[in-house]
Amino acid sequence: MSYVSVDNLVKKYGEFTAVDHISFNVKKGEIFGLLGPNGAGKSTTLNVITTLTDFDKGEVVVDGRDIRQDKKSIKQLIGMVPQDIAIYNHLTAYENVKFFASLYGLRGSKFTKNVTEALEFVGLSDKIKAKPRKMSGGMRRRLNIACGIAHDPQLIVMDEPTVGVDAQSREHILNSIRLLRDRGATVIYTSHYMQEVEEICDRIAILDKGKMIACGTEPELVSMVTDVMSVYVETKIPLGFDREAFCKKTKLMPGVKGIIAEDSLIRVDISIEQNSIERIIQEFINYELPINNIKSEVPNLDTLFLTLTGRELR
Amino acid sequence: MIEIIIKETKEFLRDKSNVFYFLIFPILLVFLLGNLLNNSDMAEEAIGSVRIHYMIETKEPAVILAIEGFVQGVSDQQNILFQKTEDIDLSKELAGNDEIDGVVVFTGHTLETAFPLEIQIYEGTNRIKNRTISAIMNGFSQVNKAVNVIVKNNPQALASSLNDEVDLIIEKDLGINRTMLDYYAITMQVMISFMSIMLGAMCFMGERQDKTIRRLKIAPISQAKLFLSKVLGLLPQIVMQIAIHMATSVLIFGANYASNMLDNLYLFLMFFILTFTIVTIGAVYGLCVNVNPMAVAMPILWTMMFISGTYSKEIFIDGISQFMPVYKVQEAAFDLAIFGRYDKINSVILVCILISIIMLMIGAFVFSRREEQ
Repeated sequence: MSYVSVDNLVKKYGEFTAVDHISFNVKKGEIFGLLGPNGAGKSTTLNVITTLTDFDKGEVVVDGRDIRQDKKSIKQLIGMVPQDIAIYNHLTAYENVKFFASLYGLRGSKFTKNVTEALEFVGLSDKIKAKPRKMSGGMRRRLNIACGIAHDPQLIVMDEPTVGVDAQSREHILNSIRLLRDRGATVIYTSHYMQEVEEICDRIAILDKGKMIACGTEPELVSMVTDVMSVYVETKIPLGFDREAFCKKTKLMPGVKGIIAEDSLIRVDISIEQNSIERIIQEFINYELPINNIKSEVPNLDTLFLTLTGRELR
Repeated sequence: MIEIIIKETKEFLRDKSNVFYFLIFPILLVFLLGNLLNNSDMAEEAIGSVRIHYMIETKEPAVILAIEGFVQGVSDQQNILFQKTEDIDLSKELAGNDEIDGVVVFTGHTLETAFPLEIQIYEGTNRIKNRTISAIMNGFSQVNKAVNVIVKNNPQALASSLNDEVDLIIEKDLGINRTMLDYYAITMQVMISFMSIMLGAMCFMGERQDKTIRRLKIAPISQAKLFLSKVLGLLPQIVMQIAIHMATSVLIFGANYASNMLDNLYLFLMFFILTFTIVTIGAVYGLCVNVNPMAVAMPILWTMMFISGTYSKEIFIDGISQFMPVYKVQEAAFDLAIFGRYDKINSVILVCILISIIMLMIGAFVFSRREEQ
């Protein structure tokens, strides 16, 4: 059952169509990624889901409630982690989280517990008295997340939460998002970092110029354009070696779609589904061909985006 | 709502620039200008003794008696020394050479003629002593219906007497003898109240700059309530601002507002409502206009202040327009502080409450409708 349902969503700013008939469903407890270059319509879509922006056409349902008719109760379910760090520089980390949590009506011991837990969750429990301007960029990003999750939201909307952070903080943030999912929250996550989306999202929608060009799990998306991966083997071919016979025999192996041998580099295209790298290596050993270097090239979302739009993702 | 008020107060007090502009800067101004104005009330130099030669030309015994009595009475004072002269030309010369300070000739009055007694004052070279002699003789003239004729001995003094001030300043009796600081303290508070437009404007512009406004807008609180909470969150700051300014002026610099505590509280109430009104105007500005109020609102405010008239000690400085809000508020404040009258201050309070309500309604509407990108 879908927790968030977006159907034929259209949002225009004057003549410019920011979101053009987008439809997708987000299942409860999954991390759903919105991937696309800048200006693809990711943030506008999130703004609509978080009730910040009204829309021109379509229907958006969250937890079975229409967003236009039940705005207030839907707001109670949502936790927003905006792309820009949205915190008060004159308040301490604790005061920031406490203030935003208080807007959701939390009171008493649960309130204090939630605030403390949110800071622990993002790894800032030792910085509760620190003011944001004394924190590193990564810490500020983590505080930004804590402010969005302290009220225990069912749906967490994260708009590029890792922009401009170091590798360590990024890893921490991505792990936190997985943990939120494991605790039962539904996460909608946008990014233009392909690897990030591939790493943490259960399903992905790819947007470009306001339109949705693909949606599904990563393998489903990749299989939309190809089911072939390439294996490159660097070898040393001895004198008198029957290159043609080797190629002919390898090509007949199950799962092998093609083979090209140029000097010392041999490229073998194989089916992703019937991954047969081991058998290929065995064949090289049988023919007493030394393997100096071997690498495989699996098509990814970038390849998909390139194939569908003719442009690279970034 | 209480969380928002606490948050606003914490942010205000922790922001050094806010504390400087809204709390320390006005106090600093009161301190600097207060000291300056207090000193301007003091005499620049000690007068010392004033030596006057006099001659009585009138023949009326009653008048001669009155003159002699007056001279005798004044000369009893240690610093005023009257001395009769027989050679008026010599006395005039002595006055010109600064050996005496002036010459007075009582002339022109007989019982047969209707002409009043004429007092000719031949001034010396010292401007302040000349004014002193003039003041002494004014006292005599008032009682005896005499006419003073001042003759300048010193060309420099003659030149400086052509004073433009006469054209610029209209004397107005404000009733109570006050120091300049008393007037300045009220004028300054009016200025601070109007400058609070920054406080209102930055209340929403600051949220926009910090990007926190979107977080506020997705919170499950009605937008109107959120707007009201933000504006009402400024109330402690408004109270602090006015209280600190008034208390500093009174307790440290010895300024007087109204003559009793009740009137002072009423004055405080007016400043509070006025400042809140200005803050609501600023808040609507901050919502609708995305340009720093320092660049737009402040020049308008300063222009308005400039073309308004103002009060000072015993004088009224005429502005271009007396219909400017700044003038009207000052007029009401002085009317209560000096004369204890409530009519004008009540009108100001009423108008401010009406404007506040309108601004809060407009602000709540705009805040609800506006999408923050």
